[in-house]
Amino acid sequence: MSFKRLTILLSYSVFIIYSGLILSLFYFYNGRLFLDVLVSERTLFSIRLSLFAATVATLMSVCIAIPSAYALSRFRFLGREFIDTILELPMIISPVALGAVLLIFFNTPLGTFIQERAVQFVFTVCGIFLAQFITTLGIAIRLIKAAMDEIPYRYEEAAKTLGASPLKAFFTVTLPLSKNGIVAASILTWAKALGEFGATITVAGSMAMKTETIPVAIFMRLANADIEGTVVLVLILISIGFGILYGVRLLTKKSTIFTG
Amino acid sequence: MPLIEIKNIQKFLLKGIDLTIHDKELLALVGPNGSGKTTLLNIISGLTDYSGEVLFDGINVNGIPTHKRGVGYLLQDLALFPHLDVASNIAYGLKVRGYPNDTIKKRVDELLDALHIARLKDKYPQGLSGGEKQRVAIARAIAPFQKILLLDEPTSSLDAQTAKYFRIELKNLLKRFEITAVIVMHDLLGAEEIADRIAILHRGKIEQVSNPEDILFHPSSDRVSEFIGMPNIIHCDSCRVLSTGLIEVTSGDLAIVLPYEGTNISKIAISPHDIYISDTEPPGPALNRFKGVVTEIIPLRSMVRVKVNVRGRDLLTELSGEMFDEMNLSVGMEVFIIIKLRRLRYAE
Repeated sequence: MSFKRLTILLSYSVFIIYSGLILSLFYFYNGRLFLDVLVSERTLFSIRLSLFAATVATLMSVCIAIPSAYALSRFRFLGREFIDTILELPMIISPVALGAVLLIFFNTPLGTFIQERAVQFVFTVCGIFLAQFITTLGIAIRLIKAAMDEIPYRYEEAAKTLGASPLKAFFTVTLPLSKNGIVAASILTWAKALGEFGATITVAGSMAMKTETIPVAIFMRLANADIEGTVVLVLILISIGFGILYGVRLLTKKSTIFTG
Repeated sequence: MPLIEIKNIQKFLLKGIDLTIHDKELLALVGPNGSGKTTLLNIISGLTDYSGEVLFDGINVNGIPTHKRGVGYLLQDLALFPHLDVASNIAYGLKVRGYPNDTIKKRVDELLDALHIARLKDKYPQGLSGGEKQRVAIARAIAPFQKILLLDEPTSSLDAQTAKYFRIELKNLLKRFEITAVIVMHDLLGAEEIADRIAILHRGKIEQVSNPEDILFHPSSDRVSEFIGMPNIIHCDSCRVLSTGLIEVTSGDLAIVLPYEGTNISKIAISPHDIYISDTEPPGPALNRFKGVVTEIIPLRSMVRVKVNVRGRDLLTELSGEMFDEMNLSVGMEVFIIIKLRRLRYAE
């Protein structure tokens, strides 16, 4: 077998593995139950909460990620390498561990002070926002930085020679040029937040109709041996995720117009 | 009065540069690669930090950031904004400076006309040719009424013929808009065509600042002479117009014919690589063809310079190492030389 054929065969095997797994869900698929679970108040709450929490966490992440990514992409400063390395932290350590770190922090005097005087995070919806924000921030910065690295600094220099302040050059040149990359990064961040489980359940718990996101609901149904219900929720999560990934593909294709 | 004064500038290779650029002057900064030309432009524009002083009209601009210096800069890679069309690229500097819309439109239209790019105004940079991009970038650089313009190798991406026309057009444009310009070039011939004065930069040091004629006929050092190609300078005793556009100049026993519209030439400069050398008598007319004797052979890295005595005068010629080996030249050997007509440069 030629090398070319071998590689193509392996890429087909990837497709077979994933599509086979998805297809296997239909073994337990029950049409009537699907509708019942889908329109149940608990499921709809989980969907709404998941979408809302992922959006809030993504907005928080992207708001911090854009300036941070710009600094990491453009400037050389003390500790830059260290910050760049720490971005990998949420990818290296498990989300449960990250959640545990957050829980431990809120048991320190400073954490207790924040909980009592500012915002209650543990076992609340705010805890979901925080957990998802912490797990997605690193990847958001990494993806936005990659988009900004693609934009030559020369454009900003040209803008400055034409009278644009550094801030104006950022808003009129760098940001529009990296717009598609930032949107794609935001969608991926949102998808990651949507599927986040470990940190969320550790910090916010799994209270039905309160802190139960779709991944947490899947876990809870599975723990109760409710396979059919689990299948429905998994299919919902897959549908949302697939739609997002397809959107990202379209956007990435478009972004090559400016950078190619 | 955008007079630019550069005092004791130190940065990377640049070691204590002093330079004055007069109002509305076109100064060409010429030098080999890595001599610090672009660094000097970046210093004037404020794109890089430095030690020393930069003054515009006698005012020290050291602490002033690039966007407040009012210096247009044509970057070597042009850096046209790919997300804006031609008209928006040109209007960019005016918009960020807060000019009213009618002023912006008027100025953009004026520059689109001046640079003959009106038909391109709705196009994006990706769809433009190298020459078109160059024109758009120049229009963009001078649009915000900037009286100082820095140009980094403005003709580097153009073919020789287009570059020649472009230089003439650029010179007229800069004079028309009364712009003081510093133009980085690596080609001395191009600089001679466009510049009021030429500054020769070599390894971070300014070797000579003079008008093009002085640089050619009175190089201040061996380094300048080497950079400008060690031209053979021939002082003319007399001139005789042969026909319209053709003149014969004599220097001692040497008579050279060259294209020239006037009646009097005092000196001519002939680059060594514009003198062909042959060990056998070349066929064809004997115009500017002389017999001589090799008096000295100077091997260089990839070429060989050969000094040939022609009627009592030493002329330096240049040929590739390969050609030299093929001809098997030696001191004392009789050879023929032909002077290329079109590359002669002269002083009146």
